[in-house]
Amino acid sequence: MNSFLTRYSSTSPEADIRKAKELFDEDGDVSDVMWGSASGFGNLASGVPMFKLPSVPDPTSFLRMHTDDHADPSCRIKIKHGTTTLAFRFQGGVIVAVDSRATAGSYVASGTVKKVIEINPYLLGTMAGGAADCQYWETYLGIQCRLHELRNRERISVAAASKYLSNLVYSYKGMGLSMGTMICGWDKTVRIPEMNRDCTEAIRANCRLQGPAIFYVDSDGSRLKGDLFSVGSGSTFAYGVLDQGYRWDLTDAEAQELGRRSIYAAGHRDAFSGNTVNLYHVKQDGWQFIGNYDVSKLHYEGPGDVPGAPGTGYGYDLRVAGRTSSDAPQSEGQA
Amino acid sequence: MPDGSFAHPQQRQFNPYTDNGGTILAIAGADFTVIAGDTRQSEGYSIQTRYAPKVFRLTDRAVLAVNGFAADGNMFVKKVKQRLEWYRHAHAKDMPLHAIARLIQTMLYAQRFFPYYVYNILGGIEEDGSGAVYSFDPVGSYEREACRAAGAAQSLVQPFLDNQIYFKNQKAAAGQSHPAHLPLSDVLAIVIDSFTSATERHIEVGDGLEIYVVVAKGRSPQGLETMRNVQELSTRPDGDRMFILRRELKKD
Amino acid sequence: MSIMEYNGGSVIAMVGKDCVAIASDLRLGNQALGISSNFQKIFPMTNRIFLGLPGLATDVTTLKETFRYRVNMFTIKEEREIEPETFAHLVSSTLYERRFGPWFIEPVMAGLQKTHDGGYKPYIAATDLIGCLNFAKDFVVAGTASTKLFGVAEGLWEPDLEPEDLFETISQTLLNAVDRDAYSGWGAEVYVLTKDKVIKRTLKGRMD
Repeated sequence: MNSFLTRYSSTSPEADIRKAKELFDEDGDVSDVMWGSASGFGNLASGVPMFKLPSVPDPTSFLRMHTDDHADPSCRIKIKHGTTTLAFRFQGGVIVAVDSRATAGSYVASGTVKKVIEINPYLLGTMAGGAADCQYWETYLGIQCRLHELRNRERISVAAASKYLSNLVYSYKGMGLSMGTMICGWDKTVRIPEMNRDCTEAIRANCRLQGPAIFYVDSDGSRLKGDLFSVGSGSTFAYGVLDQGYRWDLTDAEAQELGRRSIYAAGHRDAFSGNTVNLYHVKQDGWQFIGNYDVSKLHYEGPGDVPGAPGTGYGYDLRVAGRTSSDAPQSEGQA
Repeated sequence: MPDGSFAHPQQRQFNPYTDNGGTILAIAGADFTVIAGDTRQSEGYSIQTRYAPKVFRLTDRAVLAVNGFAADGNMFVKKVKQRLEWYRHAHAKDMPLHAIARLIQTMLYAQRFFPYYVYNILGGIEEDGSGAVYSFDPVGSYEREACRAAGAAQSLVQPFLDNQIYFKNQKAAAGQSHPAHLPLSDVLAIVIDSFTSATERHIEVGDGLEIYVVVAKGRSPQGLETMRNVQELSTRPDGDRMFILRRELKKD
Repeated sequence: MSIMEYNGGSVIAMVGKDCVAIASDLRLGNQALGISSNFQKIFPMTNRIFLGLPGLATDVTTLKETFRYRVNMFTIKEEREIEPETFAHLVSSTLYERRFGPWFIEPVMAGLQKTHDGGYKPYIAATDLIGCLNFAKDFVVAGTASTKLFGVAEGLWEPDLEPEDLFETISQTLLNAVDRDAYSGWGAEVYVLTKDKVIKRTLKGRMD
């Protein structure tokens, strides 16, 4: 009964998509733009993207049956998962740090995943959950941000960009998208004229929209503004290090080291995170790629000669070598 | 067990997918790319055919390997080829490799709610003349890599490749460093070894091996032309060159 | 989730020329969470037999003691050291005792078997969790990284490797296999058995 209801109801998400399909009168796989050079994304810029649905009463449960490896570990289409991502705001901008591991079951499918998506030169998105969902929709977001620039002769704010993404994934709520992302950027700084220094409330509100910004957006429809987020299976480990070392007045070098050290901690303890750390720093004039660091190298040798580095390996066993009861200091034994 | 009667509650499911086994593999060199796949097609413990190609020529410099559900794979390759032909009609040139990669992403993602059950590996020559490999998941997330194995024996082959291609866990001799790219002869030897190993330990891999080699324009095929069972597929003598190398694998 | 994946871990054994090697990772986990990077899974049974026990950690500890007890009882009753082949059958029958409520362990063993002319012959074997023996001439694997180990070993192993070459082969096989397995890794150790010595080495592996 329920499946009939959703199939013919006019308010379910499936119905919305069916309606859109009828409206555009196309089958999703053949449109005029495919003849041209837009190589697929062309149809996105011009309207609602179209998706093929299986002809079953409940497409959502169909998808879940064949892809969700929590419900059925033997299902065929394995969605890659496992991740640690983090971003935090501080005096010098935003630090974005992520790991690079993708796992399918116990198999490490990739150790070189780019989990920071460069939406445009001043906006970054992070990837947790479905890799394709994040890659595709954040690329799509990049298109919409550029269109905003062309239409309004002004960069889109991080708040607006993240809300665009949030609204978009919300329209697919319950259909199986899986994303946990942080949209990070630096909103343009508006110079307040001298005479307005004794700010009105309106101007003060405007000021709050300036500088570094982070929004957490997920496929459930949440959109949260905040100073510090970590997302993914290793997030608890990252939070442990991050919370301990976080201050607003961190220097750039300290902040970069904190991001690197936090992802290392997660990569070390969490089986589904690791391989390498990718570190980005968002400043007033856009984001900057700081570096790629091998987690195992961080463990044994540290990040090398970079600002804020401790000069030794991050590994616990390295730091306590010869100083624990199981590995007692030499001098005590001799005395 | 559905028996047609109404005595017991019965449930039926629409299951349009099956796994047809097999393994594919691609390795990028400095100025060439090797894309390979076995030719066995199976369902469960049965072999449906000993010769079903999984690797396809798309353009003069792009090759696509598809693995997973053969019906979806063949349909997908057909549609990609169609889109590339349309592109040729509109622009009077072949679509560049990185653009094909993005095209494949959008085509796969268009089926986000009814996915093609296929793992794609795209290999070929980039516009700058470098060898490139792009690997995809069934719903279109993709990444450029130097080497990738997919399919039934990916977990057997990939760690071997990590060791032999990326020199993972190997320390270079004092004062020396590992080469960034291997010569074609080494890569071909590694590819053939990978498949003989996978055939030995995985029941869904075997029968035959098809290895496509794309060599960048003006670069030497390094003696490939003289190897046995080689066929040249190049359409022009002055462009990128494409070869197909066939080998037998164990049939048991 | 498979019970083997609860704590994770993998073991491999290989045959060389007049020598054998057995190696394991050192991880003990609680599913995704790494707990210890110093959890041994390989135990000496006699001077010439080493037993690897990948699987559920609680059963690793229990079975290690069970086999120590049974090997000691054998030595006392027979007044001689147990041979690898005999030991393999001891392992097999011990596991089959629990046919319908098994130990969650897939043992791997490596040893040097005494021959009639007084020399030693390499011997390796593995069983499933209820004791079905698998004698191999080349290598045996078990644990969460077993498919990965099979792939690399099949590519790297060759007959009649000398002890040092066998060490390199088994080490490379193990390290590269566990790096593709989420539940194995966090360090590794290798034992190489020759007729006059046992070489133990701890490997510096990836820590993620």
